[in-house]
Amino acid sequence: MERASASWVIYLSLVCGLLFMLLPFPLEWRIFRPDIATLTLFYWVLALPQRVGVTTAFFLGLGQDLIEGSPVGLSSLGLMISVLVLLSNYQRIRQFDGVQQSLMILVLLMLTSGAEQWLRNGMGMPGLPWLGLVGLSCSTVCWLAVREILRSLRRYYEVT
Amino acid sequence: MVGLQKAAIDGVALTTGVILAPVEAWDRMVAAMNSRSDLQEEVLRLQQENRVLKGQSQRLAALLSENARYKALLRSAQLIDDELIAAQIIAVSPDPSRHIVVVDKGTLDGVREGQPMLGEEGLMGQIILSGERTSRAVLITDSAHALPVQVNRSGLRAIAEGNGAIDRLLIRHLPAKSDIRVGDLLVTSGLGGRFPNGYPVARVTEVVISEGEAFALVTAEPISALDRGRYVLVLQRTVESEAES
Repeated sequence: MERASASWVIYLSLVCGLLFMLLPFPLEWRIFRPDIATLTLFYWVLALPQRVGVTTAFFLGLGQDLIEGSPVGLSSLGLMISVLVLLSNYQRIRQFDGVQQSLMILVLLMLTSGAEQWLRNGMGMPGLPWLGLVGLSCSTVCWLAVREILRSLRRYYEVT
Repeated sequence: MVGLQKAAIDGVALTTGVILAPVEAWDRMVAAMNSRSDLQEEVLRLQQENRVLKGQSQRLAALLSENARYKALLRSAQLIDDELIAAQIIAVSPDPSRHIVVVDKGTLDGVREGQPMLGEEGLMGQIILSGERTSRAVLITDSAHALPVQVNRSGLRAIAEGNGAIDRLLIRHLPAKSDIRVGDLLVTSGLGGRFPNGYPVARVTEVVISEGEAFALVTAEPISALDRGRYVLVLQRTVESEAES
């Protein structure tokens, strides 16, 4: 395995994704906010599966929960599950064209959100309304843009 | 875990402040460019308003003490003096399934968990987690929130539940024969001890009584505009003396 270089780019981009959650959105529009942090995580898992994996997903989930104020660890499980799926299929998903890949990302986002809803249900917390699926599609639409931005960053800083 | 969350609240609020700094600066610049005459007019208006309010609060003080005397005579209820802390909503929780806001006052200012939060017109919610300088408050429309209310006109007691829509509260399990009408004002009933009684909560907008159903379904609209406005009041209760009930 080659040595890690410029891995700060990875963590900085994840932190930026988390900061995006803090941008003020009107109360009724929050549902359409694309989940940039999760998309960033998915990109790095696809690009550098030897560097970013389940542990990173766990800590990103912790960060999301602390920002949202939901019970700590709630988002982690879903992220870890979808990162596992991604890790075992990354070679295939890398070969997909843009639309196929976006659809795959939508499935992964639904898996993440599904696991979270399941936990919320078990804890008696209010779940996401059905409109939440629209929010997931907003994230999906952003996938290609996020991928291009992060890819150029990865090439520029030669992150490995 | 709760300690971690409390520590995170302040950090998150600080970061939000940094992100929002340009917006705030713009607001301040716009305010600074208001003309002198506008400001003078506003000062005059506010002074008048302040005089009226002061006059009203004088009467309030007299009424409060009178009320306290009566209550002492009845030896029934505890005497409660409400103190208000002015706060500002600085953020909305990113979780779209909850109605949670962040206010800029924390334990250092005396804000504690469970204190009611008021808007200009009526009850807005309650504090659920307080950090040192900021706190999280849940709004009454959150789908995990319910509060005991009373119809102001008839004294009928009920539970008003949030259901995740910002302009709606639901009252279920109210017998179909209950005395409740469209336009009735719902105020806090004080049962449960969390919210002091008498604060306006919502106005009834719809009463659905279906044939053969045991319960009426009542919908009400919160009186304070929960998704607008930034300034809120946190109610600090100081229980002066507890008489036997």
